[in-house]
Amino acid sequence: METLLIAIVAAPGILFLSLALLWLLGWTPPEKVTTGLTKVVYIGIALCCSALVLEMYRTGAVSVEASLGTWFEAGEYVFSFALVADWLSLPLTVLTIILAGIVTAFSARYLHRDRGFFRFFMLLNLFAFGALLAFTAASYDLMLGGWELVGITSVLLISFFDERREPVQNSVRVFATYKLADVGLMLGIFGLHYTMQTADFSKIAEGHISHPTIIGLLILIAAAGKSAQFPFFGWLPRAMEGPTPSSAIFYGAISVHLGAFLLLRSASIFEASPWASIVVFLVGAQTALIATLIQRVSTDAKTSLAYAAMAQLGIIFMEIALGFPRLALVHILGHAAVRTLQFLRAPSMLHDYHRVHAAAGGHLGKTGLHYERILPEGLRAWLYRIGLERGYYDALADRVLIAPVLRFARWASGFEPGLVQSTQSRELKSLINGVARDVWNESAKRVES
Amino acid sequence: MFLMDSFSLFAIFGYLLITAITLATAPRKDVSGNNRIQLALIVAGTLIAYVSGSLWVFLVGWALVGLAFRTGKSGMMLASSTLALGIGTALISFGENGNAHIAGFAALVLAALLRKGIFPFHFWIPMAFEEAPLPAVNLMLNSHLGAFLMIRFAFRLFPQLAVQTLSLIGLLAIFTALYAAFLALVAQRPRRILALLCISQTSFILAGLENRNVEGITGALVHWLVVALATTSLLAVYRALEVRTTEVDRPAGFLGLGFHAPRLAVFFAIGALTLVGLPGTLGFAAEDLLFHGALESHPLLGFGLPLATALNAITSLKLLSTLFLGRRGIHVPPIPDACWMERFALTVPVVILVVGGISPSLFVNLREPSAHWIAALLAGR
Repeated sequence: METLLIAIVAAPGILFLSLALLWLLGWTPPEKVTTGLTKVVYIGIALCCSALVLEMYRTGAVSVEASLGTWFEAGEYVFSFALVADWLSLPLTVLTIILAGIVTAFSARYLHRDRGFFRFFMLLNLFAFGALLAFTAASYDLMLGGWELVGITSVLLISFFDERREPVQNSVRVFATYKLADVGLMLGIFGLHYTMQTADFSKIAEGHISHPTIIGLLILIAAAGKSAQFPFFGWLPRAMEGPTPSSAIFYGAISVHLGAFLLLRSASIFEASPWASIVVFLVGAQTALIATLIQRVSTDAKTSLAYAAMAQLGIIFMEIALGFPRLALVHILGHAAVRTLQFLRAPSMLHDYHRVHAAAGGHLGKTGLHYERILPEGLRAWLYRIGLERGYYDALADRVLIAPVLRFARWASGFEPGLVQSTQSRELKSLINGVARDVWNESAKRVES
Repeated sequence: MFLMDSFSLFAIFGYLLITAITLATAPRKDVSGNNRIQLALIVAGTLIAYVSGSLWVFLVGWALVGLAFRTGKSGMMLASSTLALGIGTALISFGENGNAHIAGFAALVLAALLRKGIFPFHFWIPMAFEEAPLPAVNLMLNSHLGAFLMIRFAFRLFPQLAVQTLSLIGLLAIFTALYAAFLALVAQRPRRILALLCISQTSFILAGLENRNVEGITGALVHWLVVALATTSLLAVYRALEVRTTEVDRPAGFLGLGFHAPRLAVFFAIGALTLVGLPGTLGFAAEDLLFHGALESHPLLGFGLPLATALNAITSLKLLSTLFLGRRGIHVPPIPDACWMERFALTVPVVILVVGGISPSLFVNLREPSAHWIAALLAGR
């Protein structure tokens, strides 16, 4: 069973590395070879996964742990490479394999003769490897590796249609959000090492956790960043610039649920800290509210789906905070499956509507507007405005966070020699010159007198 | 007079490798005429410094590298560092009392800080990037003679003084890493951005040494190799772009060069992302060890390193996007992709970094004995 688990995780990574090396040396495989190899790999790992589940069922094992020993060590620090398939990681592993296979089959036609065809499949394989590694990692240290791979592939796919400026600009913005949120995960992991001398999930669950509120909040920052929760939710609509199949698997299914998965893996930390759980609940509730508002006024299908996914993720966060991990897991699986279908059908949405209308023998009646009717008209107008402006999130982030950081950096650059003199540098120089001139004049007067 | 141990052997091997990659990928005009003499001086000086067993021999090697940069402000700063090292060497060799030795040690530290471009002496490295040929700058920067000086001589001759001053050096290194990362966010010219990225990431080496534990020091030594290989790739690709089009000097927007040169784009991406610890590359293991070491010895200081890495990652992606993504402007000519020599030469660091990422213990185990030796020196054993 251990070998099966290792094979499941390693296969997409090996495919990626082999194709990448051949490409670097000059050979670009034709479309059929690329998709054929990818399909073979996903069918193979789907079979391995089935065999693993059957074997676990037959032997009655609740979890399988595959240890590859020590990855590296120095001094007292040991980085163990161990994978685990349990009640949490196994369903998500199965989901990842199935959805990656579906997206492969879909993209073979959707991206046919696109100049980024090979790039897309390479990134998809790297993403699948990262996601499987993150789900099956037995420690936070190893999970961080998969977590970051998912992040970078996500960003590179956002800028897939790079002949336009917007996807490229948005990919940088999304990457910045990811990286800043990931600092929280890194610090949380180091906090665990510092206080508990381990980052293994099993040892943390069994041991006494010191400072669980601080560590829990650091982990929450990373989870909120990956799952597009408050205050990081501005990146998700920007990520919709990528091709539809990648939006489906990243932002409808796997990548956005990694944050919720992290919270589920860290359940013991949040159980030890009611305060951290309360913050998780508030973050989820706040995001669900604002996302549902924005989703109702979004004018394009993918953005609307993105905010709908965000709202569901907010509810999943609330379920986790209230202590219903299994409900949250079922919610994740169901939500991911439905959302992938919706994203993949988004390019044909109008066609689908026409078919439904044709089958119904005319236009269907308007749905919704149940909650809106309860609210007073003035409040509805305000909420509509907030929804249209996407909660003023981008404006706030620009003004409160990005602008001061860039202003500081520009101010500091003004003092760097070898650059074109900036305003503040000129002002400082003139101030110094002025003071020096005054001192000189003063002393000259004294000498004269 | 001369000393060859596992520490210097590894440094020499790494340095010869990046020299070979640099020479294989450098444009012809960068390795001919006076530039050839400049490169020869740098390589000879660095190798002499690596095998030196006495401060005087080391000074000769250091001065030779300085001689290669005679003009400009960078030349002046290198000359200042040579002067500081010369004064330190003289004070240590001929000084008869403790005060002279303390002054000599201070001069060695000053020389190392000047050479490594640690704040407030960081400003000359962007100037060197802008006024000198990139292959020469790469070979000068990646010799890491400042760190070598600290390990080989300052720690060995004055372990007590080294322990007392390391906190200050570490603080300066982490501040430099953060400060350069902030400056890089708003820098415009790619050469300047690359210089600031290099300053920020090479500062991690001194910050790792300051940890005084085996994890941190091993991380610093592995990071030394990562920085050398990754920056060599980055600078080689950037120089390859410079000789293909002048548009890269001051890009007015996205240049979209990846359309015609996808392999150069991938080499650049791997170099840039390895530098900031991409999982699956050796940079991940190096930064993991560095951060763990930093947090074990100074938790508060250790928080600065992940933040600097995050900022550098953002800058790296911005630069990658500017150079290789976007619609190619009509003023940007179509450029050829990596030629065969470039392709094979740049595949070497990529393979080493990826193999190191898959099996980091190969490199970590090679560097750990040196880390034990340095940690023992600092512990006074």
